[in-house]
Amino acid sequence: MTQKPHTIEVGDGAAIPLKSDKGLFTAWRLAFVGALATLTWLAFTRPDPYMKIITFVPDGILVTFKVTVGAILLALIIGLITGLGRISSNRFINGLASLYVEVIRGIPLLVQIFYIYYALGRIIKVPDILSAIIAMAVCYGAYMGEVFRAGIQSIPKGQAEAALSLGMTRSQTMWHVILPQAFRVVLPPVGNEFIALLKDSSLVSILAVADLLRRGREFASESFTYFETYTVIALIYLILTLFFSKIIGIMEERINVDR
Amino acid sequence: MSTGERRTMVQARDVVKFYGQFKALDRVSLTVYEGEKVVIIGPSGSGKSTLLRSINRLENIDGGSMVVNGMDLYDPKTDLTKVREEVGMVFQSFNLFPHRTVLENLTMAQTVVRRRPKKEATEKARYLLEKVGLSEKADAYPGKLSGGQQQRVAIARSLAMDPKLMLFDEPTSALDPEMIGEVLDVMKDLAHEGMTMVVVTHEMGFAREVADKVIFMDHGAVVEDGTPEHFFTNPTHERAKLFLSQIL
Repeated sequence: MTQKPHTIEVGDGAAIPLKSDKGLFTAWRLAFVGALATLTWLAFTRPDPYMKIITFVPDGILVTFKVTVGAILLALIIGLITGLGRISSNRFINGLASLYVEVIRGIPLLVQIFYIYYALGRIIKVPDILSAIIAMAVCYGAYMGEVFRAGIQSIPKGQAEAALSLGMTRSQTMWHVILPQAFRVVLPPVGNEFIALLKDSSLVSILAVADLLRRGREFASESFTYFETYTVIALIYLILTLFFSKIIGIMEERINVDR
Repeated sequence: MSTGERRTMVQARDVVKFYGQFKALDRVSLTVYEGEKVVIIGPSGSGKSTLLRSINRLENIDGGSMVVNGMDLYDPKTDLTKVREEVGMVFQSFNLFPHRTVLENLTMAQTVVRRRPKKEATEKARYLLEKVGLSEKADAYPGKLSGGQQQRVAIARSLAMDPKLMLFDEPTSALDPEMIGEVLDVMKDLAHEGMTMVVVTHEMGFAREVADKVIFMDHGAVVEDGTPEHFFTNPTHERAKLFLSQIL
């Protein structure tokens, strides 16, 4: 009996191209090559201001990257704990996890970022970039919690029954049998969340964090080349998200080949 | 046969189980002695699987008592994992761990639960795989195996824990007909080695050949309880007669 891999659909990131999906694959290629070509063409045909912009923003890309990776890692941990809490039979833990998810999902991300940034500022002094990461992670942790919950619940009940009947405890069953399988299931939605987070990380530019968008704003307000700057910023974001979509698509295929 | 000095492996008394309003088990009592092979048969929905699953408490019962290997399953002081370590279970749908190789399926509980060193667990696993005739599949993933092969691995996985009692929940019902034989052969070998077994099955040939005791259930109750000779040749109850006439 061959078990079909379980798939769940969560998130609103850029679509992840899989080889099997021919239409999307060519759309991806068109967008990626198109964006790169446009950026190169602009840089060489009109070095002023485009080349200047392109050389001005890379440290912003690094910050965007730091915020995204930091936030996704923290969100994964928060999400795993929340997801486990959401399936817990302990009423208090379950209620706490559900409350967190409900509250976070009901508040706009931008408001949360402001709130957590200033709330954190009152309690402890942390670097701006760290509070930006925490703010993003607290928000995405709630979504990630739902992804993990769905992933864990998608594993057939027989798996837990088999593990329990071998004498494993509940936590051994979770750790050795359920979670390793759930990780496979959640990889595509986590990939989507990563890309959504990469895009949403532009919101931290509102704080004193010099990410890609903020660097763009700095350049634009000095040179008054608003249109040109935001064209470059948009293209860079597009190239980044498309690039990571591809990476995630490849990772996913690798994992499916194993089976 | 004298059973007076034999250990009692399973002692179920007046077990009652409800699913909502539906009474799945209606005051069912069952005694299984060490070394005994008990086959439970009956129409679908008669409560056979529920009874079997309540023996290692995959199902909670709503009334009566269940004592397994000398431990009361509903005594708050009983560590359920300690009971389950000694009770192997084989499922209709195999339930092998698809993310682990066949060999790892057999070593996981040995190392995690029994805390055996990896080398010892691996040796045990290889020995059991050879016993069920699947040595060459040790490094394959379960998804690459046929149903019959998967079920033989599942039996080996349970045996790796050195159980005192084995429960089989319709082990051949999900298999293509040509694969049923290989699984039943493994089960017969196990029976001949003296394993205590409780088997829910529709395989009447197996029941006749292997069972010390046949239990016929209907509507959540035990209707017949006796030797295979008695059950297959001279059942007392109408329901059992009807069932046999349909199935044989």
